[in-house]
Amino acid sequence: MALDPDADREGLRLGQALADARAMVPSLTVMEQDSARLASAFAAFADWHSNASPLVTVLQDKTPFGDLILDITGVAHLFGGEAAMLDMVLSRLQTLNYTVSGAIAPTIGAAWAVSHSAKSAIISTEQLVETMDGLPVAALRLEESQISLLAQMGLKTIGELRTRPRKPLLARFGASLILRLDQAYGHIEERMTPRLPPAEHFVDRKFFEPISTLEDVLLTTEGLAQKLARRLEVQGLGAQTFHLFLYRVDHKVMTLSLNAARLTRDAEHIASLFRHRAQRLEQENYDPGFGIDLVRLAAASLDRLDPGQTGVFETDTGARDIEQLTDRLASRLGTLSVLKTELMASHIPEQAARLVPALVHQPQDIGLSSDRHRPLRLLPQPEPVAINAEVPDGLPASMIWRRQQYRLIKAAGPERISAEWWRSGKRLELVPAAHARSDEPGEKPKPSPYMPDLPPFDPMSGMRDYYVVEDGAGHRFWVFRQGLYGGSIHPVWYLHGIFP
Amino acid sequence: MQTQSRQQRLAALRDIIADIERKPALAGMQARPFGADGEGFPRLPGGLLQEVFTDAVRNGGTSLAFALGQAKALLTPRRLAVLYLQLDKDAQFFGLPYGPGLSSFGFDPAQLVLVRAADMQDLFWVAEEALACRAVAGIVADIGGAPEALDFTISRRLSLRTVESGTSLFLLRYGTERQASAAHLRWHLMPQRSGRKAFDDRAPGAARWSLKLEKGNAGQHKSEWILEWTGNAFKSLPNWIGIAAQSPSGTPVSLSASALLANPISQAG
Repeated sequence: MALDPDADREGLRLGQALADARAMVPSLTVMEQDSARLASAFAAFADWHSNASPLVTVLQDKTPFGDLILDITGVAHLFGGEAAMLDMVLSRLQTLNYTVSGAIAPTIGAAWAVSHSAKSAIISTEQLVETMDGLPVAALRLEESQISLLAQMGLKTIGELRTRPRKPLLARFGASLILRLDQAYGHIEERMTPRLPPAEHFVDRKFFEPISTLEDVLLTTEGLAQKLARRLEVQGLGAQTFHLFLYRVDHKVMTLSLNAARLTRDAEHIASLFRHRAQRLEQENYDPGFGIDLVRLAAASLDRLDPGQTGVFETDTGARDIEQLTDRLASRLGTLSVLKTELMASHIPEQAARLVPALVHQPQDIGLSSDRHRPLRLLPQPEPVAINAEVPDGLPASMIWRRQQYRLIKAAGPERISAEWWRSGKRLELVPAAHARSDEPGEKPKPSPYMPDLPPFDPMSGMRDYYVVEDGAGHRFWVFRQGLYGGSIHPVWYLHGIFP
Repeated sequence: MQTQSRQQRLAALRDIIADIERKPALAGMQARPFGADGEGFPRLPGGLLQEVFTDAVRNGGTSLAFALGQAKALLTPRRLAVLYLQLDKDAQFFGLPYGPGLSSFGFDPAQLVLVRAADMQDLFWVAEEALACRAVAGIVADIGGAPEALDFTISRRLSLRTVESGTSLFLLRYGTERQASAAHLRWHLMPQRSGRKAFDDRAPGAARWSLKLEKGNAGQHKSEWILEWTGNAFKSLPNWIGIAAQSPSGTPVSLSASALLANPISQAG
């Protein structure tokens, strides 16, 4: 809930019943707060402020909108000192007709307290205790109930609260009060989680005249990539993740992030990755608003990258080209669209290989010999087929698949692949069962974790008999029968793969 | 008289165009056969746009094998990957290349990169992008039906790129319809009954296909082959094998099944 200055002047207050307020001011305009939209707008706002400091977050515990926190350690001198910086940040919001108040203080709690007492001030470390002592207890980000209880006890200012013995306070108000108090005075460090990934290595370029076309942005990116690459090279570093931040004039930030297959500082490669990603962006929604006045390129996931030799002898094996190609493809199509096969140590066909993004694929050798005859193409979902055999358990003689009849003249099998025996008898579980602990006498038995009522695992139910079959025209397929004739489950045939 | 000289000139122009179309790729080609005899299937160089037609999707294993078999021969230490392209939605219909299956076919699965595109436009973009990369040995693209995006313009474009790059592009096509295309070679591939498997007459043996060259010139006077995959290379078989296998007198397996019941051991094999 919030009131505008006019309402405040009429004597309305927060927490009042709407009927009372209506009685006092008949012309009252009441609007419901769209908290989701507010939150997203505030988040965009916070992101945009990262052009002042890289560490920005929104505190949402107390006020209806949230509070913007900027960590300006080591930043203020870029704006001509703390006073100038505060003035710059506040005034640029005021020109947009926002009512703002802000404060710079050594702790988050103190800055919050001072800014919420509606003064824009700068508190140095020496002034901290003195200033805080004079502020009302409500400035400590406490619960409503705690504030009213403190008021009943006659503790009005933070200073009075600070000098009280702690034990009774702890007993009566809980640990949160003491925590807030200590945080405000800097006895305990209060941490903030920045909204945007903090970037140690970034380069940016400001524009006097905002740019808007994607082509301009990409050209700028190329220049920035070269700058960044030089900087990384000097420090002997390479990066795997790159973020491009586009700060719009109207307080929104567009972020483009991408991953390279491995550490790189190749400016050309970085720029081309962004170019491919941007093509996708343009198809979806590239909206520069009223223009972009700051472009920032940041590198993350840094590690040591020794300078490569471009020497007399050819050391290029082509592996690098392939990596860059998969990078480019993945940056446009998405990571999950460029895949490599990873062989797994499993005898169950669909688990013997899995497809992993080429970006994270590590070549490995699991030491499996491939003496088994396996199809070249595997259907992700086995398809049910109708199969006839002259005798049960005999070789398949005819098959209907995708409404086509096949007369099978050759077949090999069965190759019996049963479920993993080491899971036999275990109950199928979604959550790992807690380790069985014998209940101590007198202790109530603890409720076990949620366990759906699944049947115990029966290795016979997952057993398959695979056959390689060939029809008169030379089509070769891999089919299997799940279940046994005369068993508890009626056998069903599936087609699983296609041979060359 | 005038018409005749005009016709001659037209013929000469046609020859020039044919030369332009064929030469960059096939000019330096030597017909080194796989087999010992000169009649074998030629070892085709890179830089060719090849269309591989089969009649139905169920032959997908055959056409993939033919393309990979050729691509395997193109792999060198400098060109060390083969790309396989497929549309996202086609995975279930065509089936995905299967790692252990690739190994047992004789192709190292680590050398295959699978790319799943959302639509044909993306797929051709990937193909072009991959052709620009000099470390790609071959590209195999599964194309179902006759998509509108694959018109003569794009195939001409791709064929020029393949020549430039020296990478081969295999378009796996399904169906009996043929559109105009600028592919250098167009194959028609049919599965054949497999060869004999040692010690087990009822089991499928080495894969065999019949292959027909419908368009282009593979550097030999021959245009039809019966091929067998040996796990490492194509082996060309004499043509009469295909004719024999085509005859419908195959004995269904099940007929002998009753006799086999007496011998449970052989049945278990």
